[in-house]
Amino acid sequence: MKQAALSQFDILWLPLTGLIIFVTCFSIYTYFTYKKSNKPFYDKAASIPLKED
Amino acid sequence: MSSAVTNNNRRLETFSYDDQSVRWFVIATVIWGAVAMLLGVTIAFQLAEYRLNLDLPWTTFGRLRPLHTNAAIFAFCGNAIFAGIYYSTQRLLKARMYSDVLSKIHFFGWQLIIILAAITLPLGMTTGKEYAELEWPIDLLITGIWVAFAVNFFGTIAKRREKHIYVAIWFYIATIITVAVLHIINNLEIPVSMTKSYSLYSGVQDALVQWWYGHNAVAFFLTTPFLGLMYYFIPKAANRPVYSYRLSIIHFWSLVFIYIWAGPHHLLYTTLPEWAQTLGMVFSVALWMPSWGGMINGLMTLRGVWHKVRTEPTLRFMATALTFYGMATFEGPLLSIKSINAIAHFTDWIPGHVHSGTIGWNYMLTAGILFYLVEKLWNTKLYSKSLANIQFWTATIGLVLYIVSMLVAGITQSLMWSAIDETGRLVYPNFIETVVRIVPMYWVRAVGGTLVFISFLIMVYNLYKTAKQGSIGKEKVYEAYALDTHIDESDDSAHRKLEGMPTLFAVLSAIAILIGSAIEIVPSILSSQFITKFEEVAPYRPLELLGRDIYVREGCYLCHSQTVRTLPHEVLRYGKASQAAEFVYDYPFQWGSKRTGPDLARVGGKYSNLWHYRHFAKPQEVTAGSIMPRYGWLYEGKIGYDMLVKKMTAMQTLGVSYTNDEIENSVADAKEQAMDIIEDLGRNGGVTEKMKDKEVIALIAYIQRLGIDYGSIPDEEPEEDQEGEVE
Repeated sequence: MKQAALSQFDILWLPLTGLIIFVTCFSIYTYFTYKKSNKPFYDKAASIPLKED
Repeated sequence: MSSAVTNNNRRLETFSYDDQSVRWFVIATVIWGAVAMLLGVTIAFQLAEYRLNLDLPWTTFGRLRPLHTNAAIFAFCGNAIFAGIYYSTQRLLKARMYSDVLSKIHFFGWQLIIILAAITLPLGMTTGKEYAELEWPIDLLITGIWVAFAVNFFGTIAKRREKHIYVAIWFYIATIITVAVLHIINNLEIPVSMTKSYSLYSGVQDALVQWWYGHNAVAFFLTTPFLGLMYYFIPKAANRPVYSYRLSIIHFWSLVFIYIWAGPHHLLYTTLPEWAQTLGMVFSVALWMPSWGGMINGLMTLRGVWHKVRTEPTLRFMATALTFYGMATFEGPLLSIKSINAIAHFTDWIPGHVHSGTIGWNYMLTAGILFYLVEKLWNTKLYSKSLANIQFWTATIGLVLYIVSMLVAGITQSLMWSAIDETGRLVYPNFIETVVRIVPMYWVRAVGGTLVFISFLIMVYNLYKTAKQGSIGKEKVYEAYALDTHIDESDDSAHRKLEGMPTLFAVLSAIAILIGSAIEIVPSILSSQFITKFEEVAPYRPLELLGRDIYVREGCYLCHSQTVRTLPHEVLRYGKASQAAEFVYDYPFQWGSKRTGPDLARVGGKYSNLWHYRHFAKPQEVTAGSIMPRYGWLYEGKIGYDMLVKKMTAMQTLGVSYTNDEIENSVADAKEQAMDIIEDLGRNGGVTEKMKDKEVIALIAYIQRLGIDYGSIPDEEPEEDQEGEVE
């Protein structure tokens, strides 16, 4: 039976892998994003739309 | 473009923007928005009063509803997205669009797609998959036009003069890539003719792929591009930088990564594997955080200019849009929680939720953007702020009426469906009781929808008068230094470098969405090798297959589901809970997403052939209070035997176990089954033999087959636990 096959299919590693990838990436880009030395750069980037058309 | 001055190794270049394409998209947005809303109001009234279906095939709810959703999503929102993207991308990158020719191909190609949809959907040419109903030739056209758009967009990035790629552009990149992936994978199908195809997937696999697509069509067509527009137009309209650029980075990556996982929350309590349901639920709840991160970032951008929200229509509509976005993205995760989903799914609560997003978020934000764009593109001021205020309040009141009426209707339905008395029986065993009770709410919804439509017409008039009092004038010439490719980036952080590398950025975005997609879909597709099919579940007989195509053509799945969830009241009402193996021959699956009428998974044999024969003609004479349209044309149209061999051959290619002999003799078999039905109808209802080749006979054959095979399998006796065994 398909549902039983899917339920018993040993794939726990699959969503876990996804979760680990997400948490790792999230931690890395959060660290770099909130690094103090980057603040001036991001302040400048935030103003891009306000430059004259 | 020309280069005028050389300074500090960078050329000062002059260039202009392609605003004509933006104007075209603005006009198309306004026109198709009115059409989409008129269709929405029409079908809202049809649900309140069935006679408004007009007894014509092409004006019936089942055919107009896909037209409404496609018009709202792809015509109205699509053109709004393109208008905003073309305008903002050029300015954010300080470059004209890569190719004027591609811009024209994109614009006219997209309008052609919309016109083809407007012709084919009312004619019943549909794949039967929600929000992906368009048939394969149009799907190919969509792919081609999307590629033209992508080349034009990425070409513009390539020739940009601004090194840093602003956050709005990231959202556009994610949109372009993900929509392409979703569109191609979900629309893989085998053509039978120019107007008919079968999905490559069946049953539970098709369900998973479809709702992976369906949910992410909302995510990557109605959310990410609009968030990109929000990050550009709100700072512009408020004349303030975005509240937190850092938060926008976190917002982007989290949203893109998490959104793609959430599709299975559309399939809770179905035959979808438990782990996939739980995964969908968990990621849907997690989605609340990036969604609110974006909303807060947008609203906080307005700090210091809140007084303008009262006086400036552009800001007022944008702020309201963000508020509705916050509400819809709170309600969405809430509805994904299994215990709440058990109450809300298949009820009118869901259309209420959907419209709080599409009207509250998409329409309101688009209105704000259109006011901004028309003033800029026609070099003038808004014709009337008073009209904009009237529009705002009309739309808001209409939307509140819509949401509240659907919430009341949905909860009423759910409570009535699940009410069980002390003897263990359903309190409302007749489904029609639950329909009649909520019809007043359908009227309130129709009135609310009408107010929203009127508000849109007010905006159209206001924008028309604004454009008329302005002028296009000559293309303005701008100056900017050419991109400096020699900037020393050695001290920059990884993400800062990444923001200057669009190709790598696009690849990483693609990986982010592909991880979730693969984890959800691949196991389900690979699982076919582990499946033991029920011997009792056989492929459809030829006439039933033709009947199924009629069922799909008429959009029956838009009001009737075909899956019994593992909930006590559903088993009591409909019969055994559905199993995945029941659906292996269903190309495409027909589980539906709404129960305006009852579930049909176990309807085979429940009523006589004569009951169905009379029911399709005049449902109200068989079921008092029914709001189902009348299908008089099924008694005139002939069964399409000429396509039968092709259809069965296509099914064989897909893996259905038809033998060559069965295909060769399919027409004879179909006619024999039709004769059996006609003889039964003749005996019991005096139906004459001349009806034997009418479409209604094929539809009856299909309906009478539903649930029969699985129903013939005796229920398993519950196994007694062995002593000492822990379950």
